[in-house]
Parts: sequence; C-alpha cells; structure tokens
Amino acid sequence: MNSVDEILDFAIQREQEAADFYDGLAQRVESAWMKEMLLSFKAEELRHKGKLKSVKKGEQLLSSSQRVQDLKISDYLVDVQPTPDITLQDAMIIAMKREKMAHRLYSDLAAKAQDPQMQELFAGLAKEEARHKLYFEEQYDEQVMRDN
Amino acid sequence: MSLKDFISPFYVWQRAFEKPYTQKRPLQERPGAPRYRGFHVNVTEECVGCGTCESICQNHAIDMVAVEGLEPGPGDSGLRPKFDYGRCCWCALCVDICTTRSLRLSNHYAWITEDPTDFNFVAGNDPMSWNDEPLGYRRDDDYHLLRTERIPMPMLPPEQGLVSFDEVMRGYNEAEAQNEADRCVECGLCVATCPAHMSIPDYIRTIRQGDYEQGLRILYETNPFSATCGRICTHRCEEVCPVGHQGDPLAIRWLKRAIVDRIPRERYREILGDEISENGKRVAIVGAGPGGMSAAYYLRRQGYGVTLFEAQQRAGGMLRYGVPAYRLPDDQLDKDIEYIRSLGVEMRFNTRIGRDVQFSELLDGYDAVFLAIGLNVPSKLRVEGEEHPRVLSGLQVLDDVASGRDPGVGKRVAVIGGGNVAMDAARVSRRLGADVTILYRRRIVDMPADPEEIHEAQAEGCQIVTQAIPVKVKPAPNPEQVSIVWGEAEMVADAKGGRPRPVLQEDRLHEETYDSIVSAIGQGGNLDFIPAEYRDRIEFKWGKFVPGEYQQTALQKLFVGGDIANNTADAISAIEDGHHAARGIHKFLAGELDA
Repeated sequence: MNSVDEILDFAIQREQEAADFYDGLAQRVESAWMKEMLLSFKAEELRHKGKLKSVKKGEQLLSSSQRVQDLKISDYLVDVQPTPDITLQDAMIIAMKREKMAHRLYSDLAAKAQDPQMQELFAGLAKEEARHKLYFEEQYDEQVMRDN
Repeated sequence: MSLKDFISPFYVWQRAFEKPYTQKRPLQERPGAPRYRGFHVNVTEECVGCGTCESICQNHAIDMVAVEGLEPGPGDSGLRPKFDYGRCCWCALCVDICTTRSLRLSNHYAWITEDPTDFNFVAGNDPMSWNDEPLGYRRDDDYHLLRTERIPMPMLPPEQGLVSFDEVMRGYNEAEAQNEADRCVECGLCVATCPAHMSIPDYIRTIRQGDYEQGLRILYETNPFSATCGRICTHRCEEVCPVGHQGDPLAIRWLKRAIVDRIPRERYREILGDEISENGKRVAIVGAGPGGMSAAYYLRRQGYGVTLFEAQQRAGGMLRYGVPAYRLPDDQLDKDIEYIRSLGVEMRFNTRIGRDVQFSELLDGYDAVFLAIGLNVPSKLRVEGEEHPRVLSGLQVLDDVASGRDPGVGKRVAVIGGGNVAMDAARVSRRLGADVTILYRRRIVDMPADPEEIHEAQAEGCQIVTQAIPVKVKPAPNPEQVSIVWGEAEMVADAKGGRPRPVLQEDRLHEETYDSIVSAIGQGGNLDFIPAEYRDRIEFKWGKFVPGEYQQTALQKLFVGGDIANNTADAISAIEDGHHAARGIHKFLAGELDA
C-alpha cells in the first residue's frame, strides 16, 4: 500500500468485511432479537464505510492528535466464538474485540510507515477504530453491566 | 368671628417654611429597613413551582402560572407564582412556607405606575428593579413552618436483623403515619414523577383523615401491588418531593404501606367494590410478575377472561424469587397477588412458552396477548476462569433462598455488582453467616441500588470496595475456595453526561480468596421462544422490545411491558406498563387502536 487511495480502499474493504461478518452471523443466529442486534452492528460498519468513502473524496479523518477514551473493557474479557446461539453479551464482546484488533492494526502500520503523510493517515484510521471500539464499550457498559 | 378665627390661617403659612414630613420622590428616596417586608423576589432557577405559596396565601393573592421559556420537568411543575398586589398584605407567609427558600421579600416598598395591571406580576421572572436587591425579609434559618424531619421508620436493629429473615422495616403505627402525612404540602410534583402516576397527595390525605378504606380505593386506581410497593418501591417520587429541599422528603413509600397494613385482605373486595361483568373476550398474559399481574387486574375489572402463563411454581416473578423476605415478606406479596387472583384469573403455573405452549397458540387462541416476561438471565462476568464452580449467580442465590434451598455461599463471600440484586445477595449471605465484601466498579454514589439498601447492607456489616474491576478468576489452593484478581479503577467523565466510567489501572491489581464469588452485574431477557415468522415484524433494541403506543407491537394482538420492554426495570414501571397495556388492549379490542 503506497498511496492514500490504496490505504483507504484497504480500510473500506475491511469495513465491508466486518459488515459481511455481522450479516452472515445474523442469518445464522437462532434467537429473535439477536438478528436485529447484529444487523444494527452491520449498519454501524456500513456507516463507517461511508465515512471512509467521504474521506476518499476529501473529508477529514479524525486528527491523530485527538484523544479517544479507552475504557479497556475488552482487554480483560475472554474471547468468544460467533455461534448460532450467541448472546447479546457475547456479540458485543466480539464487536469490541474486532474494533480493538483494527485499532491495533492501523496503529502498527502508522508506527512502521516512513512517509509522514502515510503515518498521519494510518494514525487517523486508528483513531476512527478507537472511536468505534469506544462506542461498543459504552454500550456494553450500559446494557450488559447495568448493575456494575 | 373671633380674632383667633381671623389669625389662625396665618399660622398655617408658618408651617410652609418648615421641613416637610412627606418625601419628594424620586428626589428624596428613603430606603426600607434591612428586613422590611417589601416587594416579592423569586429566584426562578431555585423555585420548583410547588405552589405551596399559593396554598398558604390567605388573600388569594398568588396564582401559579406558566412562564414562557420554562418547561416542566422532573421535580419542577414549570409554573411560577404571580402576585396580585391588589390583594397582597405582605404577611410573608408565602416566604416562610417556601419549600426551596427561593421566595423572599425585598425592602422596596414604593411603586408608581400609571397602569394598574402592572401590579400583577410574576416575581423573579418579570423585570423588576428590585429583583437583585440583597436586603429585605427572608425566613430565618432556625425556624420552619414545614416539619423538615421525617418520622423515623421503626426497624429491627442490624444485629437482630442478621439472625433471621424477619422483615427489617416494621411499619408506622397510626400516630406515626398521621404525623408523617401531616408533612405533605400536596403539591403533586410526585405524581408526575411516579411511573404509575399514583394520586399520592390524595392517598396521603386519607391517612390524615384516618380514612384508610378510601386510601385503599385510591391506591388501587393505579396500583394493585400496594402492599409490595409500600415496601420495595424505588420511590422516585421521594426524590422530587419539595419538602426534601430543606430536610427529609416525605416517606411516601412507607405511607402507602401504612394504608395497606391497616386493612385485612378479606375486606378488599367489599372496600374496592370490584364487580366483574364478563365481556366474552380472552387475553393471554405471559409472566406472573408485577407487570403481568397488574395487567390481569385491570383487564379483569373490565370483564376480560384472563389466562396467565407462568414458568415458575408461584406468582410474583422477581418480587418472589429476587427480593428476600426481610424486605418483602411472602405474606405481603401474597396479599396483593391473592386479591388479583380472587377476581377470577386463570393461572397456569409451570408452563413455559415455546416448550409447553407455543407462541403461535397464544396469538391464535386469544383476542390479545400481553408479554411481561422480565429479565431473568444473569449477565456473565466473561473474565478468564469464570466457569469455576465457586462462582455463583446472584439471581440463583436469591432464588435458592426464596425457595428454601441453601445456596452454599460459604463463610467468606465476594459479591460483584452494585444493584439491588447485589445488595440482596450480600445481605442474604450475611444472614447465612458469611463475611461479605462487595466489589463494585464505580463509586457508591453511582450504585443503581436503592440508597437505603446500600446503607442497610453497610449497617449489617457488608464491606464495600469501590472502583474495583474483576479481571480474572483463579483456582485457590483449597479446592473449596476461589480467588479473584481485581484491579483498581480510575473514573473518567462520560462525554454524553452519563455516569462516570471506570477505567482499569493494570498496574494496581489485587488478589483475594473467597469461599464463593457471587456475580450480580446485570440481567438480560430470553426471547428465544418467539418464532422466526414473527420476530422480523417486531422491533427490538439491545435485547428489549420497543413497544409503541399503549405497549402495542407491530403484531397488532401483541402487547409487551415490564423489564423486557422498558429501561427503568423496576416493579412500579412494570405495574404501570401492565395497566397501560390493559387500557391499550381494551381500546384495541374496541376498534379504537390501530397498530
């Protein structure tokens, strides 16, 4: 990946893959409301994809200097498998961990990039993923750990 | 005419050269005394529009009026006092009674205007020159027209409560109830905040009058679980009681109980006068918790045949299996439930939808269906090692105790969570002889549990460790025990203005060993019984129904309510959902409600 467009295409592709992942899981789940829930995750990923497409057309990404809170919830939760009988709690854990992995990927790429423009772009993408992760962590905090 | 008569007018002229007693305004202002009872000032931001000033005014000089730009909200009627200076006598009773001390008098006393309607004004809102005047009359700190201290609720001392499951709160006697009822200012702010919009000032008045039968009738207009709510209601009404601004809010929950405690269950039918005239239509209700039973009551009163499906052996839902007897004795819950059942509700216990009866059978076989299945699936910790056999669920512990089983918590217990389930699991464990530590991720002030429950848990010896995040569960050297690793949390502000959020500090970890770890971090619902052909037509969000008007769903015959369909997840909201759904079902079956 050498150009800004190539990197953005890569990121857009990853968002689409995430949307496909949730869509595929939504088709497999057994419970009535989980499907609804997973489709909302899919919609969230497609919204991110749309955001990146706008960036490709000239809109600004989050600045790499902008701070995004890390609640670290996904850091101490176990990995779970996307099974057809998945619960809301586990689906949210998967979502948090996927965003965390994406954040780490872009952070690593930013660290390895030589070109300052590329560095800034990867760092901006990492911030975007951190923001997505924060969204899911906040929802987990509010919906799953209501009493904690 | 005498000489004196002739000369005396000239003496008057002599006065013309003396200093006059009257004053020339505005050239000569004479300020009022520092505590003069002059024109009214009201600090609009502090006023809650309770209208106590209007009630006490003997001259009817005050009207509570809507003010442009001020919206009603929790604990604020949005109204403000408008004064009529054609009637006011500046007695200042309004200032003395003001619940928030927002109302006072300035020391301004002269007001000249050509328009007499100017003398009707909204103090603090209309732009008067004395609005910022610091001097003038205000109530002294050391006296109140209102009684600011609550009549204490007699309760078992902690050391006595700990050795049994006897009810801790003993209830007001008649004199105590009447004295507490006397504190009510009848503003009605509580009515707007109560999810069921109970007529609180009206039933409190019946206590003052000693007319408990009328009190019971008022309670049942909106709440058929009054013995229960008189004990364990989340009492949000009390949070907005204006008397609480200068002291203790009214003990509204205990007063509700005071009415019900004085009337035996056998007299309910005679007092309430519920006569059932069958209308031939049938409604299925799923879940015999407060939401389902409330709907059953109001539907029966309208003549609907009601069949109630309940997975457990007994009715009550979380009230029976999740609230310990020391807070809500079985006989008091049964007092509410048995009256509803006595109206002719068909109960089908041990019946699970999806297993014993299919969801489609309900929709096909009944004119309408109301689902109030609650939240009964505990959230898991989902940290490493959680599957250890000494990690128990708070709901299971409470269910065991309610069902007469020993939950086997051991002698040293860690309870994780800060809600009512956590507090109850902790207090139950104390009663079973355990030393209890409660680990909570946030601060005590953030706990969703009832503050009184938190206080009682502490009084009974439960130790609360705040800002403690569970990180890992490990086997202990003794296989009958379990260890937990928890980390200290730092609180960060929530960008959306919600509760501050805890963030783990990885370098500050602690490890402790216990006989059991009781997890009570939250609950979810189980909606798996709804088949695919229906699910796509129903709106859900975060695992809960999103009902429309009158609790109706897009499946026209299906109404939903209670914890599985609201965000407050307490008994009084479920009761209101049931009542609301009963009204909706009645309208729907009368053809007055479309999906």
